[in-house]
This record gives sequence, C-alpha cells and structure tokens, in this order.
Amino acid sequence: MSNHEYDNTIICRCEDISRAELHKWIDQGLTTVDELKRLTRATMGPCQGRTCRQLILQEIASRTGVPISEAKIPTYRQPLRGITLGAIADMKLDEEGKPHEE
Amino acid sequence: MERKEIVVVGGGPAGLCAALQAARMGAQVTLLEGDDRLGGQLVKQTHMFFGSQKQHAGTRGVDISTMLVKELEQMPNVEIRTNAMVLGRYEDGALTVDDNDQFKVIYPKKAVFATGASEKMLMFANNDMPGVYGAGAVQTLMNVYGVKPADRVLMVGAGNIGLIVSYQLMQAGVQVAAILDAGPRIGGYLVHAAKIRRAGVPILTRHSIKEAVGTDRVTGAVIVQLDEKWQAIPGTEQTIACDAICLAVGLSPFADLFWQAGCDMKFIPELGGHVPARGQDMQTSVEGIYVAGDVGGIEEASSAMVEGYLAGLNAASALGYGGETVQTQRTELETQLNDLRSGPVGEKIRAGLAKLYAE
Amino acid sequence: MLHVTGIPTKEDVAKVTPSLERLQKGPCAVIECFQKIPCNPCATSCPFGAIERGNDINELPVIDWEVCTGCGICVVNCPGLAIFVVDMSQPDRAAVKLPYEFLPLPKVGDVVTAIGRDGVPLGDAKVLKVQDNKAYDRTRLVWLEVQRDWAMEVRHFSRKES
Repeated sequence: MSNHEYDNTIICRCEDISRAELHKWIDQGLTTVDELKRLTRATMGPCQGRTCRQLILQEIASRTGVPISEAKIPTYRQPLRGITLGAIADMKLDEEGKPHEE
Repeated sequence: MERKEIVVVGGGPAGLCAALQAARMGAQVTLLEGDDRLGGQLVKQTHMFFGSQKQHAGTRGVDISTMLVKELEQMPNVEIRTNAMVLGRYEDGALTVDDNDQFKVIYPKKAVFATGASEKMLMFANNDMPGVYGAGAVQTLMNVYGVKPADRVLMVGAGNIGLIVSYQLMQAGVQVAAILDAGPRIGGYLVHAAKIRRAGVPILTRHSIKEAVGTDRVTGAVIVQLDEKWQAIPGTEQTIACDAICLAVGLSPFADLFWQAGCDMKFIPELGGHVPARGQDMQTSVEGIYVAGDVGGIEEASSAMVEGYLAGLNAASALGYGGETVQTQRTELETQLNDLRSGPVGEKIRAGLAKLYAE
Repeated sequence: MLHVTGIPTKEDVAKVTPSLERLQKGPCAVIECFQKIPCNPCATSCPFGAIERGNDINELPVIDWEVCTGCGICVVNCPGLAIFVVDMSQPDRAAVKLPYEFLPLPKVGDVVTAIGRDGVPLGDAKVLKVQDNKAYDRTRLVWLEVQRDWAMEVRHFSRKES
C-alpha cells in the first residue's frame, strides 16, 4: 500500500511510531529493523516487538523492494522479558560470584 | 543455581506433551510456564478437536488440557513451575528465569522450547483504537475470565481461529456482524464455516478492513472489496456498525528464545515466518535444544501435541531413557504426524517442512 | 462455492443425500462433510460400524445407510457439527435431528424458527425432543418436526423471543 491514507496509522504502539515516521527514516537510508529501533525506539517497548516487528519488516520490504526473506533480523538479547533489578540483585551468589548452587 | 535433567519451556499443548512423554520414560522433568496456569491456548478451545483418537479427537481442547495437566501433576518426577518466564539461554547451557519474581539460573541437560506463537497485527487506519482486539484476547476475556468482550463484533480473518472465535462469540451471546477474509477462499475448515454460516453470519472473502470508525472507541468499520491482486477496489467501501473489531489474521512463530540462543533460523513463509532449523529428531542446531509446536511452524494443536511427544521422547532417549521400545514409539509418533499432514489441508505444512529439511 | 461462501451447494448436498426410499424407511445420518481434513470421530463413535474412513483419516467418510439406524451418536461426536439425522418415515411430516451448542436450550413442544444452510429462516418447526447426557459432552441433540420438503434443508434453528 503505497498511498498516504495510512500515514498516521501507528505501527509500533508501545513507542507510538507512525507509518509516516518510519517511512521518513527508511527513505533516509535506515533500512534495517536494528537501525530504526536505535533511532525511534520502535520494538523496544513492553511487547518487545511482538506486535510491530512483522509490520516494520513489511514496511521496509515494500519501501525498499527487498523481500522479508532477505531482511536483516535484529539481534535478540537477554533478558527477553522485563525483570526488576531487585530480583537480579537478590540472586544468591557463591564466593566466586557465580550463582549459588542449590 | 539448579541442575536439572530435562527442562521444558512453555506449558501449551506441545510443552505439556513433551513433559509428559519424557516423564513417562522416567526422566526428571521441569516444566516452566510464564503464565500463571498451564494449558496455553488449549484452555480457550471449547470446540471438539479434529484428528484421531490418539490426539483426543472429539474431546474439547479445554478438557484435553485438563487431562494432560492432571497426569503431569500426579507424576513424582515432574516439577511444574508457573509464573516462571525464561529470560535467556547462555552458551554454557544456562537458562535464566524470572521465577515468581526471583532470578534463577537453571542448567538443564536437555531443553525443549515450546514457546508457541504470537498473533499477527494488521495495518489499517485507527488500528490502535480501543475496541480493536486480537482473537486471542477476545478468547481470553470470554473463556478464561468470563467477560463478554462486546455486543457486535466484526471478525477479520476466516482461518480456523477467526471461524472458531466467531462461533464462540455467538455462543456467548455476542452478534457477529460479518467475517472478512482478504483471500479468495475460506482458509479454515469448511465445517466450521458452514456452522457459522447457517447461524446467519456472512463470510466475505476478498474483503479487508480499511478503517476503524469511532472517536475514542470503535463504533464501526469501513470494509472494502479486494481485486485478484489483493488491492482495494475503489468505490466498494461500506461501513459496518460494530463495537469491536477482532483480528485473526494469522500467527507468527514466537521464536525469540531460539534467536537469542543462537539456533540456526530459516525463513519459511509456509511455516509462518522464521523458524528454528532442526533434524527429524526435533533437535535444533544447538545441541540439547529441541523444538516442538507452533514455534517450529504454525499448525493445528493436534500436530503440536504429537510434536511435543516426539521432542520429549528424543530428549529423554538422548539421556538414555526409554529402553528398547523407543524406536517403536518414535515411529508411531512420526506416523501420527504424517497422517495429520497427509491430506489436502496439510499441503502447506508439507511444503514448508520440505524446505526446512532441504539442504 | 462452499469454499467462498461457507454454504454447501445443491450439488454438494446431492452427493450425500440418501435415496427417498431409504429416508422413508426410517431415520438415517446425513454426513455433510465435504472437505478432506484429518478427522475420524464419526467412524470411531458409530456403535454399528456404519461409517468408514478408510486407512487415511483425511479421506471423506463413507456411510452404509443399510447399517445406519439414525441413532445420532455420530451427530454429537462430529467435531465439525456436520452430521444430521433425517427421518421421513411418517407420511405427513419429517423429523430432523440437529447438533446444538447454544443456551438456553429449547423445550419440548416449543415452536422455533427452522433455518437453512444459508442462514435464511424457512419457517416454524416444533421441538420433539432435546437429548442431553454426559456422553454427549455438551453438544445437545435437538429433534425438530418439520414439513417434509424441508427435511434436507433445515440445518439450524433459532428460538423465538418470548
């Protein structure tokens, strides 16, 4: 869909990124999810891209002509879900600083 | 830090069956589920399952879940942890887990990742307006929490999920205004379509949603007819009154953990997107990590269960469990999978698996 | 067309319709299953062995109407709710047994609106029986009395607003 009627449609709900904003950056040469993510925070909200990653890949593909099968997929890093710093700080460690064996 | 024999990640149909199979063979099994209850999507399925008796055909999904969970709970060599979300897998084999708000490190000898799928989103104007739901959310509201999600729903997607959820909505006393599908044919089972159709719900193929109508919540939807090239035909727009729009436009394998663990991934559209490469034994390119269910390719729950049994069997037998009958059981499970996939509706999954096992 | 509308066509239905002679002998099952999907509870649930699915669970069911008694066990066991029982043994009316999964249930003697495969109301029908037991697993078997020419048309009904 190359028309403009969806320009205001939100692609990344968590970070409130519209289709027009994504297109603006794609047209400036940011053609990977990783680059778009670093610049706009798209895919970095609570859902961690679950809702929007496919849509962003589709937008990149339709805008650049490079199919999704050849798209560069962003690196997935742990923790895959949010966790409180408190939970990590409370972890029991042994003398060597490794997780205490239970 | 804890050391375990077999850790199964995900308590949906595939994970439950993987845990059961490995435990039946005598292995010590730890089942980790991120949600507060087991069953995954099975608990929302109020319809009788298809397949054969071996996959509990004729029994309702929710009751299959109860049966599987009950057997697991009675096994002394099974440890079930709910509210236990796996956060990552490290090169030395460690799994980090948010276990009821405690950070845990678990070293399994073998792991089965059965993390399921996530719903695809569709782009249309105002798709972030309150009243636009994923089909899974509608099912959760109705079937898990007993909340009526709306009075009149427009369903987008005539695959099995769209058809089944439409039927469930009608059972809950919700009107279904119409079911749309962008494709030229109904994607779901025609018996599901027929029972909805005779209850008076129109199914509009080659139609899509263009816009959600409303100011602060959905009060309607603009739909449009599509041509053979899936493009909107100008002038065919019509407005449908509804207070919810339910999206059932497909699933994506939820493969974060495989990506992060460094498993080789393949993009196979027939399987729903990127899926972990694996051998016939369901083991991924990372030794000791097995895959089962929708995360390895979007399919019916019956197949997910059999894949779970198969992954559980192979993980347990790799640790020396199972004795002489392992090969017979493996062949039996592989035959069941072939039977489920051998007909016309299995064509897509067969094509996808052929690509997966190519090279 | 069934693939597009969800409504079985006349040709589809003709393929699974028993002969008038058989229908007049007494109740028998009509299996409106037109797509090869992996499924076999109809065959495994039939107490008389009247339904065959062959070696492949994807094959369409084949029913032997000489063996079928029209008991309705397959109707409540079909996951697709695609089986109905039709009885034209009475000269002036027909009975149709339907699978029904909506609440509230109708009561015996109620007049309901009979509905065709396309969702269009046909007219009034009388509820003869509402069968429910544990083995039916919440799919009720509702018997409707309808006019004879609707026997192969009525596949659903709605309760009238009271």
